[in-house]
Amino acid sequence: MKNIDEISRLSADDLDRIGQDDSVQVPEDFRIRLPRRSTAVWAVAASVAILLGVGLWSLPKPPKDTFDDPYLAHAAVEQALGRMGDAIALGARKVEAAEVEFDKINYWK
Amino acid sequence: MKKLYAILILLAVSVSAIAQDGRSLYAKYSDLPGVEAVYISSAMFRLIGKIPDVELGGEDVNLAPIIKSLKGFYILSTEDPAIGKDLYADVTKRLDRGEYELLMEAKEDGQVMRLYTAGDDFTVRSFIMLTRDGTETSFIGLDGDMPREQLEDIVLKAVEE
Repeated sequence: MKNIDEISRLSADDLDRIGQDDSVQVPEDFRIRLPRRSTAVWAVAASVAILLGVGLWSLPKPPKDTFDDPYLAHAAVEQALGRMGDAIALGARKVEAAEVEFDKINYWK
Repeated sequence: MKKLYAILILLAVSVSAIAQDGRSLYAKYSDLPGVEAVYISSAMFRLIGKIPDVELGGEDVNLAPIIKSLKGFYILSTEDPAIGKDLYADVTKRLDRGEYELLMEAKEDGQVMRLYTAGDDFTVRSFIMLTRDGTETSFIGLDGDMPREQLEDIVLKAVEE
């Protein structure tokens, strides 16, 4: 029986010829023993691939830009940021009003 | 091995969490009738290039560093009560996951305004404004790598005004 080094030196044609030669008997106790870890690694790799595939597939595609014209886009950004600024100012006014009330309470104490 | 599977599950959860960003909200609501929707991509922001100073609260504020760091800009606004209710619930559900920090909340005459940020001590990766004014519900979302210090300076400037 050939060892692994001898087999690795055989050409593809030789391997094919030996494979078709019925006179070559496969030993009864012949078993391919893969390291146990290898199975686990492959299982993990497959799991990662599936999870990533599912995750990426579930991600929505980037939407189409609303504006083709950068000036219009700029105007929309400006307007939205202005709205945000107004909202922040509203919050600030509430804080200021609360401070005035607290000052009044503290004054009468 | 169990640890590895736990990491994999966490990875899957985080991937699906990323999917629930402004993009997925936009995808869900932008085509509905009665919804005003605006999306501006990072490519468009690059095209805009140098943004002139934007007037905010009566004072000129240089928003260029923030604008340049943006990767996506989403606006969803509706006066449809049913859609508005769904949108508000969807956004709130996302915000309640714990990734976002409430920056400010103001309520006045039935108007509710909330500002949220997500990120770390140095970078704001997402900035969200959610408002409800009567029947109108609005969502404004900014995704990017915004320098926290600059963003907070702008917010403070608006507050000072």
